[in-house]
Amino acid sequence: MHAFAAWLQASSASNTIQSVSWVIPLLQSIHILMIGVVFVSSLMIALRVLGLMRVDQPFEAVWHRFAPWMWSALIVMAGTGLLLVLGEPIREFTALSFWIKMLLLAAGVTSTALYGHALKSGVRVRVRGSAEFSAGAKAMSILLVALWLSVVFLGRAIAYDREVWGALSLHA
Amino acid sequence: MRTSVKAMPIVEAIHVLAAATVFGTIFIVDLRLLGLPDTRRPVTVVCREMLRLTWGAFFVALCAGLLMFAANAHTYYGNTAFRLKMLALLGAGVNMLLFHRLTFRNVAAWDQNAPVPMAARLAGATSMILWVSVIFLARWIGFTKGYDFRIPPNTHINFQF
Repeated sequence: MHAFAAWLQASSASNTIQSVSWVIPLLQSIHILMIGVVFVSSLMIALRVLGLMRVDQPFEAVWHRFAPWMWSALIVMAGTGLLLVLGEPIREFTALSFWIKMLLLAAGVTSTALYGHALKSGVRVRVRGSAEFSAGAKAMSILLVALWLSVVFLGRAIAYDREVWGALSLHA
Repeated sequence: MRTSVKAMPIVEAIHVLAAATVFGTIFIVDLRLLGLPDTRRPVTVVCREMLRLTWGAFFVALCAGLLMFAANAHTYYGNTAFRLKMLALLGAGVNMLLFHRLTFRNVAAWDQNAPVPMAARLAGATSMILWVSVIFLARWIGFTKGYDFRIPPNTHINFQF
């Protein structure tokens, strides 16, 4: 993995990202703005499931209001994230936080897609004969917000792998 | 805090997350002020719902930010990106104050299903630009401030272990 990271870091695309001083801060800034959009969109959906926000609107309306923003911002986030990895592959690939982040990210995206589908269809997520969501659906929405929170924390922790993970750090 | 290797990443992560939440929630209000996605939801309701989250997140970001500043006050103070960020924050505050004191007073006339007046649209657009600038400038600080390793005068350091 380290050899691959070193090869990638020596590539011309990586060199361009590294050598132009404003590219990495620009990409990171866009990445952070998109975190705001993704996190707040998923928070709005979760708060609606919990019955704490926009209860005057049907769930479908809230989903249609925020889900497109969430998915679009996720795509931009993935794009800027990929470029950041391309720019500093050794920094990312040798950080334990990066790999756990990727794992949680995959889990977050998959479960949001599946969960969103279940919420929209309304099957098995509503209390029978009521518009209210079941306890399981509510727990899942809290879990997803917690998952996104962990992803953000791990993202920042990439810069401090040894300090955060100590002996577990992948830093040589 | 400089000497605690674990404090910085935690405080920074909280700061990033809280700042992203401030941006995300205020963005929803700004969009509504621009009449987006539509004018069906009352401006007063959108403001009431979002701004409590915005203020909560802002308070958290402020606390974490103050801790970060305290750990490296001298270098932050002299950093241009930091100064510009503070200016942008001040601008966002003034913009919000003017909006609430002047434009928002006759909100009843354009609260729902009505075109948003130009002054409110302008306030929304200004807020968007300023908050995006705050995030960009904030990220720039990390790439320009360097670190202050100087030992404060009159500090006694015992090198005997």
